[in-house]
Amino acid sequence: MNAHRSPHEGHDQQTLWGLSAGQRARYLAALAAMAAGIALSFGVPLVTRAAIDGPLASLPRAPLAPPYATELWPAPAPGLLELALERRTFLQEVGARLGLDAGGQLWLAGALLLALAGASGLCFYLRGRLAALASEGLVRRLRQAVHDHLNHLPTPWLDAADTGDLVQRCTSDVETVRTFLATQVIEIGRAALLVGLVTPVIFHLDFELACVALALLPVLVTSAFLFFRHIKALFQRMDEAEGRMTTVLQENLTAIRVVRAFGRQEHEREKFAAANAEFRDHHVRFIRLLGRFWSSSDVLTMSQLGLVLVVGAWRVREGALSLGTLAAFLEYEALIIWPVRQLGRVLAEAGKAVVSMRRLREVLDVAEESDLEGAATAALPALRGALEVRDLGFGFAGGAAALDGISFRLDPGQTLALIGPPGAGKTTLVQLLLRLYDYERGSIRLDGHELRELPRRFVRRHFGVVLQEPFLYSRSVRANLVLGMPDVTEETLCESTRAAAVHEAILEFPGGYETEIGERGVTLSGGQRQRIALARALLKDPPILVLDDALSAVDTETESRILEALAARRGTRTTIIVAHRLSSVLHADLTLVLERGRIVQAGHHADLIRAEGPYRRLWEIQGALEAEIERDLQTAAEPGGRA
Amino acid sequence: MNPEEELQQDVAALRRGVDLQLWRRLWSFTKPYRRNVRLLAVFALGTALSDTGLPWVTKLVVDDLTQPDVARPLWLYALLYGVLVLTLSGSVLGFITAGSRVRTGVVHDIRQAGFANLQALSFSYFDRRPVGWLMARMTSDCERLSNILAWGVLDMVWGGTVMTSVTVVMFVVDWRLALTILGVTPVLALVSRVFQRRILASSRRVREQNSKLTAAYNEGIMGLRTTKAFVREDESATEFGALAGAMREVSVRNALQSAVYLPLVLTLGSLAAALVLGVGGGRVLAGVIPLGTLVLFLSFSRLFFEPIQELARLFAEMQMAQASAERVLGLVEAVPEVQDGPEVRARLAAHAGRPLPDGVAPDGLPDRIGEMRFEGVGFTYAGGQRVLHGLDLTVQPGETVALVGATGGGKSTILSLLCRFYEPTEGRILFDGVDYRERSLAWLQQNLGIVLQTPQLFSGTVAENIRYGKLDATDAEVHAAARLVGAEDFVLALEDGYDTQVGEGGGRLSTGQKQLVSFARAVLKAPRILVMDEATSSIDTETEQRIQAGVERVLSGRTSFVIAHRLSTIRRADRILVIDHGAIVESGTHAELMARRGAYHSLYTQQSLREGASYSTVIS
Repeated sequence: MNAHRSPHEGHDQQTLWGLSAGQRARYLAALAAMAAGIALSFGVPLVTRAAIDGPLASLPRAPLAPPYATELWPAPAPGLLELALERRTFLQEVGARLGLDAGGQLWLAGALLLALAGASGLCFYLRGRLAALASEGLVRRLRQAVHDHLNHLPTPWLDAADTGDLVQRCTSDVETVRTFLATQVIEIGRAALLVGLVTPVIFHLDFELACVALALLPVLVTSAFLFFRHIKALFQRMDEAEGRMTTVLQENLTAIRVVRAFGRQEHEREKFAAANAEFRDHHVRFIRLLGRFWSSSDVLTMSQLGLVLVVGAWRVREGALSLGTLAAFLEYEALIIWPVRQLGRVLAEAGKAVVSMRRLREVLDVAEESDLEGAATAALPALRGALEVRDLGFGFAGGAAALDGISFRLDPGQTLALIGPPGAGKTTLVQLLLRLYDYERGSIRLDGHELRELPRRFVRRHFGVVLQEPFLYSRSVRANLVLGMPDVTEETLCESTRAAAVHEAILEFPGGYETEIGERGVTLSGGQRQRIALARALLKDPPILVLDDALSAVDTETESRILEALAARRGTRTTIIVAHRLSSVLHADLTLVLERGRIVQAGHHADLIRAEGPYRRLWEIQGALEAEIERDLQTAAEPGGRA
Repeated sequence: MNPEEELQQDVAALRRGVDLQLWRRLWSFTKPYRRNVRLLAVFALGTALSDTGLPWVTKLVVDDLTQPDVARPLWLYALLYGVLVLTLSGSVLGFITAGSRVRTGVVHDIRQAGFANLQALSFSYFDRRPVGWLMARMTSDCERLSNILAWGVLDMVWGGTVMTSVTVVMFVVDWRLALTILGVTPVLALVSRVFQRRILASSRRVREQNSKLTAAYNEGIMGLRTTKAFVREDESATEFGALAGAMREVSVRNALQSAVYLPLVLTLGSLAAALVLGVGGGRVLAGVIPLGTLVLFLSFSRLFFEPIQELARLFAEMQMAQASAERVLGLVEAVPEVQDGPEVRARLAAHAGRPLPDGVAPDGLPDRIGEMRFEGVGFTYAGGQRVLHGLDLTVQPGETVALVGATGGGKSTILSLLCRFYEPTEGRILFDGVDYRERSLAWLQQNLGIVLQTPQLFSGTVAENIRYGKLDATDAEVHAAARLVGAEDFVLALEDGYDTQVGEGGGRLSTGQKQLVSFARAVLKAPRILVMDEATSSIDTETEQRIQAGVERVLSGRTSFVIAHRLSTIRRADRILVIDHGAIVESGTHAELMARRGAYHSLYTQQSLREGASYSTVIS
C-alpha cells in the first residue's frame, strides 16, 4: 500500500495515537507475550528453591542436615503458588509420582529450568518481533506523514523556517520517538511488569525479607532519574562542542581552495585543534560523570543484593526462612534489580521523546496549503497565458510591503522583463504568479480568471520556472529532465536540451544522460545547473515560461544561443524574464523596472532609454562600455576595409 | 566511491578475519596514553576479580548455613561482601576514568592528524572524494575506531580475566562440574559469533538506509519550490514511501536478529544451569561437594557466558570497522601529490629559525615574483582526461591577463596550475626562470590572492572573515579593504556592522554580499598575484560597477589573472587569452584580437550584436 495521505486528511491522524492505528493490537500482543515470558522466567527461582529445599535437603546426611525444619514453613497458601510453596516441594511430589529418586528429581528440576527458559525465550522472541513490527510500522507512518506534510506546507512558512532545523526534526526527532517506541515503551513495561509480578511473590515467600529486598529500589530509580535529567545539560554542551568542531571541519573542507590560496593551513590547524580539544574535554567530562554514576549505582545495586544475602542468611540461621527461599530471593533480586536500575535512565530518556514529539507537532500543526486541486478544474480550458495584473499588493508577515500597486497587461505569447535591484520584489511577483504566495490586494487574472480562484496545482501546471539557483534532484540527468513530462520521446528530450545549449555538455559527462547528479555523481557548475533546469522547463512546454535570473551563471556566447532558441517561442508562449543584465531584456515586449516593490518605469526598451530614470542610468553604465565596443568594432573594421 | 560500495565492503569485512596488522597500526595511536591504558587494564582486572569473588561469598554463606559446624558471625560475610562491592565499584570508576582519557584522546589525535594531512593533500585527492565522504571519515568513523580501541581493551582484559579466573576456580573446586559448564560454551560462542555478525551487518544497513532518508528529507525541503512548481508532490510521496518502506524492512530485520539472539543465549545459559543442577545435585547428594558449591556453579554458569557474548561482539565490531579503519588510515597516511620536494625542504630547514635578509624568501631564493612563464604546459587528470596541452605563455609583472572562452575549455585548469593546486603533467612553469616546483609551496601561496566563482566564508564575524586575508590586520586596515571594494555600505547596514555573525559558511549573507566580503579579504592580503574566477557574476550591475572601481585600483601594479564571462569587464586587460579545448587559440590585446577577426572577434561581436543593435537605435 502506498502510504500517501491526501493533504486534506484531518490533522488528528497525525498524533502518535492516531498513527498507531493498526499497530495497537500488535503492541498489546507484545505486552502480553512479555508478561507471559516474565511469568515463565519467574518459575526459574521457584524450581531452584524447590530443588534446594526438596531433594537436596531431604537426604538424611549429617553435615548437610538442615537445621531449619519443615514445620517452620507457614501454612500452604492457596491459589497460584500453591504447588510451588508446599511443604514437600513440588519436585518431590511430582518426582515421587514418577518414581524418581532424589537425583532424578534434580534432573527433573534441570529439565524444568530448560523448559521454562525455552518457553520464556519464545515469548521474549515474540515480544521482540511484535514490538519491532509495531514500532517500525508506526514510525514509518510518522516519517511519511512528516514528509508529505512538508510537501504541502505553504511556501512563506518554509521561507521563514530554518532548513537545518527542519531536517533535524525530520531525522533526529523522529529517531528519538522511534527509540522511545521500540525500546523505552517496552523497557518501562518490562520493569513495571517485573516489579508488579515479583512483589507479590516475594512478599508471599517472606514478608520481612521482601521489605529488605525492595528497600533500595526507589532510591536507585530516583537517583538514576535525577542523574540523567541533570546530565542532559552537560550532554547538550558536549553536543554543541561537537557541532562547533564539525562546522570548522566542514567549512575547511568546503573552502579548501580559499585556505590554500591564502596559505592559512597553520591558522586552520590551530582553529581546528582548539575546537577538537574543546570537544574532547567536554567528552571526557561527560564520560567521567557517567563513570561516577555507574560506579555509585553499582554500590547501590550490589548493596541491595548483599543486604538480601546477609539479612536472609541471618533469618535462615534464626530458622525463620528456608535456604531454598533465600536462594530464590537472590535470584528474584537479580532478576528485577538490573531492569529497575535501567528504569531511571529510561524514564529520563523517555522525557526526550515528549520534547521531540512536541517539536514534530509544531511542524505537523502548520496548516497545509489549501485549494490544491479544485473540483472545477476539469471544466476549465487550457490556459493560453494572457496575464492581467491590477493594483497588486503583497507584504511579508511583519515586514513592509514587498509589492505595492503593481499593474500591467501581457498578451499570450508576449515577453515580460522584470529588472531592478535585489529586494525590489521581482522574485516575489513570480512567487505570486505561481500561487506559492497568496496576494492580498488587487487582482491577477490569468486568461481572464482571477488567479486566487484557480486551484494551485492547476496554475502551476501551466508554468515552467527556472530559478537563479535551480534545484536538481540527486538522480540521473535524464530523471531530472523528464520531471515535467514522464513519457517524453528521446527526440523531444534532446530538442529541449539543445535549445538550452546543454546537450553537448551532457554527452560529455561520463554516463551521458544517465549520469548521476550530486554527491554520488558529477558536480555541475552553476551554468550547467541553470541550463539543465531550463531544458527541464522547456520540456514541460508550458504556456508561461519564467526565468528568474536563470542565466546569470551562463557565459555570454551560450546565453545568446539560448535567447535565440527562446525567441522561437515568441508569439505562442508567454515568457517572463527576471534579469540583472539589460542584454537579456532588450527584446521584451514590456519591461518593468521595480524598486522597493513598486513599478518605477514600464515600457519597451526603446521608450525606456529615452526617459529619465533608473533604466536609462543602467543603460548608460552598460552603454558606456557599449560605446567603446562600437568604436572597437569600427576600428577593427577599418583595416580590413569592410565592415 | 559510493555509499553502497562502502556498505558492501563493510559487510564483506565481516567474513574476513580480524586483520591484526591493521589494528596494530591503529594501536599506535594509543601510544601517548599508555599509562592510562595500563590503568584501564588494571581496573578491568579488578572488576573481573570482584565479579568472580561475589558469587564466592554467596557460596560461603550457603556453606555456613548448611554446615552447622561452621558458624562464623554474619558480619564477617557482610564485611567481605562490602569490600568486594567497593572494589568493584572503585574499579568501575577507575576504568571509566582511565578509559575516558584514552577514548577521547585517541579520537582527538586521529582527527587532528587527519585534519593536518587534509591541509597538505593535493586537490586531486579532493576531486575524488566529496566533502560528505571526508566528513564521515573524520567524525563517525574516528569515533567508532577509538571506541573499539579504548573499550576493546576493557572488554578483552575483563572478559579474559573473568573467563580465566572462573575457569581456574571451577577446576580447583570441582573439575567435573567445570567441564559441564565448559561443554556448553563452544555452542554459545558459535551462536554469539554468528548472530553478532549478522546484527552488526544489518545495523550497518539500517544506517545506510537512514542516511538515504535524511538525504530525501533534505532534498524534499531544499527542492520544495521545484516540487511544487512541477506539481509532483504525489510522486515525491510515492518515492519517499518506497524509502520509508525499505527502512522499515531493514530495521525490523535488525530487531528480529536481536529478538532471536537474546532468548537463544538465555536458553543456552539455562541448559548449562540445568546440567549443573543435574550433575552437581547428584554430587551434593553423594556428599562429594557442599551445597554452596552447587550454588556457586549455578552463578558461574551465568557469569561465564557474559564475556563470551562481549568478546563475540567485540570481534564482530572489529571486523566490521576494518573497512572504515582502512579508509581513515588511508586519509591520515595519504601522501600529498603536490608538496615541497626534498631539496626545497632542505633549503627551508637551512633558513628556518634565522631572520631572513631583506628580499630573501624562506626557501632561500629571492622573495619576488617577476616574470612568469608557462613552457609547453599540459595537464591530464588521473582519470586520463587531458584538459590542457602545449601551453606557452609569458607574463610580465603587473600585467593583467584575461582568460576567455567557452566553459570547460581549460580556463580554470590554467589558474589551478598557476596556484599550484595541481602541477603540470607536461612542461613546466617558471617564476623568474626558476621552476616553481623548486620554490616553497607555502611561499607561493602566500603571494596569491584569490576570488572564487562561489565565494566561501567561515563562521564568525564579517571583520574576522575579511581579516582572513591578513591575520594581524588592524581594524582600520579591515575597514579600508571593505571600503575599497565597496562593501562597507552593506556591512554598516547589518545589525552589528563589522561584528555581525555571518553564520555557517556565510549563510546569513546574500551571494553578492559574500562576494564583496571575499573580495575585501583578497584585497586585504595585498597579494603579488591576484586570481579571479568569474567573481562578478550574480551581482547586479550597480554593485558590479562599484566592485570594479575598487578592483581596478587594486589591480594596478599587481600581476593578475581574470576569468569572466562578460567580455566588457575584461576588455581593459593587458592581454586576452582565448582558451578553447585546452589550448590558447588567440592571444593579444583587445585591439589586436579584434583586428585579427578570429575567435575573439566572433565572441565579441556576438555579444556586441545583442547589446549593440538596440544601442544604435539610441544614437541614431
